[in-house]
Parts: sequence; structure tokens; C-alpha cells
Amino acid sequence: MRSRSRVALLALLTAGTACVRAQEPSSAGRARAATLLVQRASRLEQALQQPVADSAADLPLARWLLPLKLAEVSGLALDRADRLFAHDDENGHVFEIDYRRGLLVKEFLVGPRGLLADFEGLTIVGDVFYMFTSDGRIFTFREGGAGARVSYAVHDTRLGRECEFEGITYDATIRSLVMACKHVGIKNLHNHLVIYRWKLERGQGDRLSRIAIPEAQVIGANDWKKFEPSDITVDPATGNYVIIASQQKGLVELTPAGAVVRSEPLPEGPLMAEGVAITRDRLLIISAEATAGSASLSLYRRR
Amino acid sequence: MASLKGLIDVLTLGSERPLRRLLAYYALLALLLYGILQAFPVVENLLLGSGLSDLVTSPTVLQDGLAGQQPGAAPDVAVPQLGLALVTLLTMLGALALMLPVSWVYMSARKARGHDQTVAQTLIILPVVVAGVVLVVQNSLALAFSLAGIVAAVRFRTTLRDTRDVVFVFVAIAVGFAAGVQALTVAFIVSAVFNFVLLFAWHYDFGRNALEPTATAQWTEPLAELAHQGEDAVPDRDLALALTPEKAARLAERFERVSNMLGAKKKKPKYNAILTITAEDTGKAQQSVEPVLDESAKRWKLDAVEKNDGKPSSLYYLVRLRKTSSEADLLTAVRTSAGENIADAVVEMGGASEKANAKASKGE
Repeated sequence: MRSRSRVALLALLTAGTACVRAQEPSSAGRARAATLLVQRASRLEQALQQPVADSAADLPLARWLLPLKLAEVSGLALDRADRLFAHDDENGHVFEIDYRRGLLVKEFLVGPRGLLADFEGLTIVGDVFYMFTSDGRIFTFREGGAGARVSYAVHDTRLGRECEFEGITYDATIRSLVMACKHVGIKNLHNHLVIYRWKLERGQGDRLSRIAIPEAQVIGANDWKKFEPSDITVDPATGNYVIIASQQKGLVELTPAGAVVRSEPLPEGPLMAEGVAITRDRLLIISAEATAGSASLSLYRRR
Repeated sequence: MASLKGLIDVLTLGSERPLRRLLAYYALLALLLYGILQAFPVVENLLLGSGLSDLVTSPTVLQDGLAGQQPGAAPDVAVPQLGLALVTLLTMLGALALMLPVSWVYMSARKARGHDQTVAQTLIILPVVVAGVVLVVQNSLALAFSLAGIVAAVRFRTTLRDTRDVVFVFVAIAVGFAAGVQALTVAFIVSAVFNFVLLFAWHYDFGRNALEPTATAQWTEPLAELAHQGEDAVPDRDLALALTPEKAARLAERFERVSNMLGAKKKKPKYNAILTITAEDTGKAQQSVEPVLDESAKRWKLDAVEKNDGKPSSLYYLVRLRKTSSEADLLTAVRTSAGENIADAVVEMGGASEKANAKASKGE
């Protein structure tokens, strides 16, 4: 009996060793991964250069499945060099993702032990990150290295009562943070798409301004009952605001003045689109939370 | 378990002192951990609380969602699943290993009143379960709320016999929690500090009320009862109460010898006297006493030899006297034969023999 248990213990140890060894990438594995990444990048470049019919424009060029830690991926943001950053919903983890090659580059944490808040959006101005919560608080910090924990400052816009926010972006032309409102708390604006703008620099006049567009204009010919934004971004080519809504699976483009440019269904893809970003080379990136499978990052041509 | 006990025996040189045995156990555990870390450096993540905020420090290739998979389908994560299984296993085993000494201390600390076996078992099972639950919940607020809901729905109400046992249960939860967030170092320190603080408090009788008897005094209570109660009461009450633990132990040895002499209940005693010889040289004493016993005793045996450093040694003989010999005859014969080879000789008669002697004297 005792020898049997010793054999079982030995077998367990061997299995454990095998498991651990399986976790450690070999040099051959690293070489394979490097080749794969090169192939992915060139495949995307080729796809972008090929002319595509309108019917195929909605098909994703690439889709990367995100790890479990990003199951509740919330906002997306591009920096000056078009590096993509994403964050999770409630813990203050920020990830850099190489969207062209499908590589999770690094992760850093806001605060020494992270933050517990309902994070809904991220934008980057210069080298300062602005992470926004649904109750209107803005956490500012700088980029951290891999595995770093960065310090932060917090500013409360005190707009939490007026609005439940779901997305933030930066409009460089007016040097303002632009924040989309999902649920409006102001009675006479209930049937409006409300967007707040907050100037980063103090100057003459109010730092805070608001645009409200009647929902009927936003919905247009679509069969949505209302439009509840999930994220907002600025199209670098036109300067227009592009807003997505996961509930309605819709995409709306507005001019900074509030005129609706287009209103259409989101490209074909996973449910629960929670983040949007547009690159300078016309890639529309949409992140989706995990529902049945895993969270994902989908790349489309920007029409 | 036997080999673990053997290892601890080797490290403590067979000492039964709880402090030494605990130190040996933790030292062994630390050594084992060091060995595992040397062999598998990835295990380090289990020690440093990486579960609290494990961060990606090296690039990770993401899976292609369009390569042979339907959108939204679960990714092929066979290798991460293996890793998860290993982490879960090591976390739970770690929690178990760290709670074993706590359960030992619990059983030792409750020796006087008797420990509750269910609590002892809970102490090693609870942290394993807690670690498993925390591993599942991790950083998900949604799962945490679900867990709270489930726990609120399923109620367990157990009345602990000793309210102090709650502290042990708290430690079990703390160790399980720390193990669950993969901070085994924290769990190790919680377990070790708790045990050592408890042992020190126990050893020094910390917090004793001056009006209450000391722990040392408390042990004499059973002796007091022994002196007062029943037909087996010790005749000399003051003698019983004056005993120290060392004296009581020696007395117990003597009682055992008397018991051996009297033999099993309802049987005729095999021996009826104890002959105690005190001598500097036990060899010479034996040579001079044992021929006398051959003559005077029906049967005899050397029961024990007690060597005392710097003092004369003692030889204990169990003796069955011949009917023709009395206690005085034996003593006279021994002293005459041994002369200066012995320092003293004493004969203690068993109850049955005393009665026989009394009958004999009546007959005379």
C-alpha cells in the first residue's frame, strides 16, 4: 500500500513537472511565435492594400481573442504613435496591444494595488493617460513599463448626477476631453444623445460645454428604439466623433458641432462592443467584452 | 505522515517540546519550498500575492479569432488550463501544509478539556476550500457578489464548544484567503506567527488573573481529588498536594512497580514484596544480594536499576518470600551477606503478604 502511494506521489510530481515545463516557451517555440507575428502583420498589410467591394467592407480583417484578464475590456485609446491601449472594467489594469500582429505587449497597473471603480473609457493626450469612470471621475497617469504600478491623480467632474458616462476621447482641435453620456439624468434631455466637452486648459469662459442631439436624428433610418453609447473616438482623418452602442449594435458619426454624418449598424462581429478606436491608416478597431466565448479585438476597414 | 514525524524527530533530536517541533516543521517546509522554487521558478508567482494583481510582464501572443474559429467561440487554451490546474493544486496543498501545524497546536492547546475533532478537521479542510473559492472569484466583483449571495442563502450555524476555537477558524480563513490570492508567503507568516504567539502565551500563562491559581497549581487539582474521594483516596492528603510534577512522575513509577508486584486483578500475586537496595557499586551489590534471594525467596526478579549521577544507585527486586521467611529474616540475611557492598536495604510488603504475615504471627 505504501509503495503504491509512493508511486502515485511520483506520478503526480512528474505530471506537475510536465505541466510547468509546458508553460515555459522553448527557443523553437519563440522562433515559431516570431514567424507567426511577421506573417500576421504582412497579411494585414496585404489586406489593407487590396481594393474591396462594399459588401466585404464589413468583414473583419483580423480578430484577436483577448485573455481572461481582459474579459471585461472596456475602453480603447491610441497614442500619438498609434499604439493601442485597452483597460479592464473595474481594476485599473492597462494593457498595450499590438493590434497589427495580435500581441499583448505589456500591462501596467494604476495605483499600487490597482483601483476599484467602474472604468468606462480611456484617452491619451501627449503622454498623459485619462481614464474615465461612469460617475464622472477622471484618473490621470503616465504610461508605465511592463508590470509597473503607476501613480495617479484623480479629478471629479461632478457630472455623475447628470450623466452615466460610457466613453471618453480627446478632440485636439478644441483641446478638450469629449465624454459620451449613456444614461442622461437631466429630465428635458432624456431623448437626446448628450456629449460633454471639458477643456484641459483653463482660459476664458467655461471649461465645460455640452452638446445634445435629439435621438431621432441620431437613430435616423435604423430600427433602434434609442441610442446608448458604449464608447466614443475621434476620426483622425475628419475630426468627427464616432460613437458606438453595444445594445443597439450601432455606429454613429457626428461632426464636432453635433450634426449627424451617418448612422448605421456596426460591422459584423461579436456582441457587446465596448471600445472603439480609429488609426491614421483607416483601421477601425472595436473591442468586445466576453459573452459566450472570450473577449476580442476586431479590425475593420474604416469606410 | 510517519516519515514526516521521523524527519521532525531527527531535526529535534527526538524532543517532544512543541516549540522545537514546530520550528522543525516550518524549517522543513521552507526547505521544501526552496527546493521547489529552484526546480520550478514559475512557482514564485504563488508566493508573492501575484493573484492580487498579476501583471503581464512579457509579450503574449494573442489567439487569432478568425483562424478556424467562429466569432465568439472559446479559444483553445489547453496549456493555460494545465497551468491553472497546477496553480490550483499547489495553492490548496500549500494551504493544507500551513494549517497542519495550526491544527496540531489546537489539539495540544485543548488537551486538558479535550479538543473537538470536528474543529480539528475543519481547521485543515476550511482553508483548502477558502483557497479554492478565492481562486475562482479572483478579481471579479460579479463573482464575489454571487458568492455572497450563495453564502447568504446557505446558512451553517455551528455552536462551538469553546468560543476560543473561533480564533483558530479565523486563522484557517486567513490562510485560505492568502493562499487563494497566491500569497503563500503571507499564509506562511500568518500560520507561523499565530502558532508561536499562541505557544508563548501558553508557556508563560499570559494574561493570568492573579486571583486565580496558576497553570502549575491547576494540575494539582486532580491530586486533591485523589486525596479526598472514594475508596482509592490517597491516605496522606498533604503529601499528595505537596507533589511536584517530577515527584508525581517518580511516584507513578513506584506505583507501577507495586502494581506489577501485585499482578493482575483476582489472581494470586506473583510477588509479595519489593526489595530496594541502595549501593554505590551495583555489580558488587547484585553479587552479594542475589544468592540470599535464591535461598530466602520462592521466586524473584530484578525489576529495575536506577543509576543516579553522583548518588548511590538503586536496585529494585520483586520478590515472593518463602512461607518460612519473613520480611525481617530477608533484611537480616541481605544485610549480613552484603555487608559494606550496599548502603541500605528496604523491604516493602504487598497487602496480601501482610495479611499472610499477620495470620502467621497469630498462629505463633
